[in-house]
Amino acid sequence: MTTGPQPATPPSPRDSAADPTGDFALRGFYRHEFDRIGRDFEATGSGLASLSDRTRLVDRLVLTLWDQYFSSRGASGCAMIAVGGFGRSELFPHSDIDLLFLATDEAGRDGIKDEVRGVCQAMWDIGLRVSPATRTLADCTRFDQNNVEFTLSLLDSRFLAGDGGLFERLHAQVLPQLIARESDALLQSLSEMTQARHQRFGNTIFHLEPNLKDGPGGLRDCHVAQWVGMIVALGAGRRPDLISTRKNSEYAEMMDAMEFLCSSRCYLHYHHNRDDNIITWATQEELAERGVATKSGPVTPAEWMRLYFRHAKTVARSSSQLLGQVSRNRSSLLRSFQHWRSRVSNEEFSVVDGRVYFQQASDAREAVAVLRLFTFIARHGVALSPETERRLNDAHRRLAETMPQDQYLWQHLREILGLPHAAEALRTMHSLNLLTRAIPEFETIDLLVLRDLYHRYTVDEHTFMAIDVLHQLKNNAVVCLQPFADLMLELERPELLFLALLLHDTGKGLEGADHVQSSRQLAVATVKRLQLTEEDAQAVCFLVAAHLEISSTMRRRDIYDPAAIHELAGKIGTTERLKMLTLLTLADIKAVNPEALTAWKAENLWRLYAGTATYFVRSADTERLHAEISNEPAEKIAALLPGRREELLEFLDGLPQRYLLSHSPEQVAQHFTMASHLDAEPVQIGLRDCSGQQELTVVTPDRPGLFGTVTGILYGWGMDITKAAAFSNRNGVVVDSFYFKDRFRTLELNPPERERFKRSLRDILMGEAWLEPLLESRLKADRRPVKLTVETRMRYDDECSARSTLLEIVTQDRPGLLHTISSTLTSEECSIEIALIDTEGPLAHDVFYITCDGKKLTAERMRSIEWALSAELGDSLPNAW
Amino acid sequence: MMKLEAVIQPAKFEAVKDALIEIGVEGMTVTEVRGHGRQKGHTEFYRGREYTVDVLPKVKIEVVIPDIVVDKAIQAITNAARTGKIGDGKIFLSRIDEAIRIRNDERGETAL
Repeated sequence: MTTGPQPATPPSPRDSAADPTGDFALRGFYRHEFDRIGRDFEATGSGLASLSDRTRLVDRLVLTLWDQYFSSRGASGCAMIAVGGFGRSELFPHSDIDLLFLATDEAGRDGIKDEVRGVCQAMWDIGLRVSPATRTLADCTRFDQNNVEFTLSLLDSRFLAGDGGLFERLHAQVLPQLIARESDALLQSLSEMTQARHQRFGNTIFHLEPNLKDGPGGLRDCHVAQWVGMIVALGAGRRPDLISTRKNSEYAEMMDAMEFLCSSRCYLHYHHNRDDNIITWATQEELAERGVATKSGPVTPAEWMRLYFRHAKTVARSSSQLLGQVSRNRSSLLRSFQHWRSRVSNEEFSVVDGRVYFQQASDAREAVAVLRLFTFIARHGVALSPETERRLNDAHRRLAETMPQDQYLWQHLREILGLPHAAEALRTMHSLNLLTRAIPEFETIDLLVLRDLYHRYTVDEHTFMAIDVLHQLKNNAVVCLQPFADLMLELERPELLFLALLLHDTGKGLEGADHVQSSRQLAVATVKRLQLTEEDAQAVCFLVAAHLEISSTMRRRDIYDPAAIHELAGKIGTTERLKMLTLLTLADIKAVNPEALTAWKAENLWRLYAGTATYFVRSADTERLHAEISNEPAEKIAALLPGRREELLEFLDGLPQRYLLSHSPEQVAQHFTMASHLDAEPVQIGLRDCSGQQELTVVTPDRPGLFGTVTGILYGWGMDITKAAAFSNRNGVVVDSFYFKDRFRTLELNPPERERFKRSLRDILMGEAWLEPLLESRLKADRRPVKLTVETRMRYDDECSARSTLLEIVTQDRPGLLHTISSTLTSEECSIEIALIDTEGPLAHDVFYITCDGKKLTAERMRSIEWALSAELGDSLPNAW
Repeated sequence: MMKLEAVIQPAKFEAVKDALIEIGVEGMTVTEVRGHGRQKGHTEFYRGREYTVDVLPKVKIEVVIPDIVVDKAIQAITNAARTGKIGDGKIFLSRIDEAIRIRNDERGETAL
């Protein structure tokens, strides 16, 4: 609150070019002085000086008008008070002028109506936009939840003219008592108003065309910080003083930010001749070219916007910390939520009022402990406390030097990326300049503004938002997003998708027209440094390189056109990649601006996904490899097997193309090597750990019931198959892959069991041991019936293959399911040519290409299988399709 | 003045937009819509579940143009949007009585 009247000196010839007597003269005087202040601003660039100059000018005018209209009735019982921005002496060139006419009582208020009307009318005539209010002292003692702005405006009140004693009663008694009584409610209202305002701007400062008054990190947030300081001080019976609540360095930063924002807003007002607060692209160029508020002269628009974001960050941080500090006064619901959050404290971090602290201050200097802090934030969604932030800033140099950039970073980063508040943790890392230390490739898009009519946020913020979109899918209530939420749960390696999202636009910060290629190159460097496995690295780089493929198909092609789907499927290759790329596309579109992902686009994206996923299933048997036709993947594998190209092509001959797409060149080379040893050992077995699961590969000559036997052995050993694929080449060599969970950790806890497991597999497949005893013991253990929640659906497709009939089964997953199905098919005298097995939560999605006597199934055989499977799977009757 | 509403395949939107700009029609209103004419729908499968796609995605472009440009605009749209298959879309024409530019009250064809 500012106090003390400004000298009510009337304009004199020395100060003005015109004599300010009479409204016409005052208008000319105001226009003349307004222009002079504008010229001063052009010369000095000082926004703060301009604000106080205009305030002084308006002070003099309203004092002149006061004398003119109130001189006859005397000063007793009423006062003219500047409130709001006028009260703070911060009048921007085109800001409204908030005036309070204060009366002792209602009779006094009624008695000054004509004078007030006269002053206001004259102000309008002069060209001043006045927002007047007439109140009694009693009015000011009341707190109105529906007009919080009035009480807030009183915080900035400044005496102009009239009854000084009346103003003193407001200032020294009424207002402090009101604030002391209502500070909790006032702070809560202020907090809610601020949140609602931020919500309108998507809760981010990183807009490409920011609003520097109302946007997060804008001038209104400066005022919020000031008001909070005043309310807290007055509530505690102290004199309000912003400086006492902040460290000097933070205060200086805040003042710098205010000066920057004020100068920029002054420029907008003067040059657009209205109350304009949006920094459009065109304005950014002007501000940068003129070096407005830069202190260093002209800069590029990108540099100017970086300066803007830096200051906006200071303001946003300061206001949010101050609001956070007073959270103890908030609603009991929020308090209890934050109390719950405080219970997440552990031996390393404590959480107080939703803000996280190190238990050991020295940990702020240890990079690994700091990475654990970000993991904690990603898990619990808590914010840094001001103290933690200070400690991290103080230790920045050491942290920057010791931040890991290799597999140790990936160990932490993959965990962070997969946690629900990953975006918040990454934003925090980035605001501390630590994300770019960990991933230097991200530096290219730091606060990067790219100009198009579509994007609304800086490229780095768009990236964080995209990551958040996927994490928020499970909480969304929007119907058109529900299928994507389910798809998200099906991902085997979501962390790879999140890493790809983090890197997908990094190329936008590099020179060159093709940002996708640049992003891919940066992604290649990143995954190499993070030491991802070859397979994971390929997946991430593929996603980055292909991140516009689906959008492009949606925009340029008919999404129901089989040729478009065939082409897209060819570029993507596997169902898992299709899922990841679909979700990446969804997140990428939705993070562009709040309206970018319409229900129309979301539905088209889903239809294209579903069509392509179905295509993968239906095309497995028709698209096969031919020894005489060379292709790029085959040549890549051949390069791993010097001198054995012809043998390799013979091995690949007749295998579905899907086989090559779903295995890395290294895996195929391994399978080839296994196949080349079949003469010595007819059952080749590979077993390896794979992302928390086991991967079993069986290469052997085909024989009746082979797939059912292997699934039976796995079931017998208590293994839970999550994914499987069975393929065979023209020479009848089968390559079966199974991914399974070791339900009882048999192989993990007893390493010798791995060899016994492989031996059991070999012996049963060679006919040297029996499967039945293994199954019997398992069936006894698994006697408990499974509660069926997924309806079983079976469907035949006799058109997608010239040789086989496709059988697609969707049912509840359960122990031994695959063995049940495959042994039923064997007992129905069917041969499984190709099997594509997938599990998504409680749902099993199994696709078989089957033949009977080497031919497609007859209608009678189909019905027989349907009845048999329905009985086995627990359904009383086959479902209608 | 005439209002021209073209309901076209989404995949043809860029081509139609470029064709209109090329003949000097720069202002347009674009809406994402769903619908069908004679094209009707078709049946799709996903994970064993059958679903009917009975309303298909389309883009509706609306432009208001001087009478003298109408034939050229129709030609531009049909050339750019035509594949010869069912589902290429339709163009509807209607007469417009007045156009007013909100910024400066300009009226008639000068407001377009």
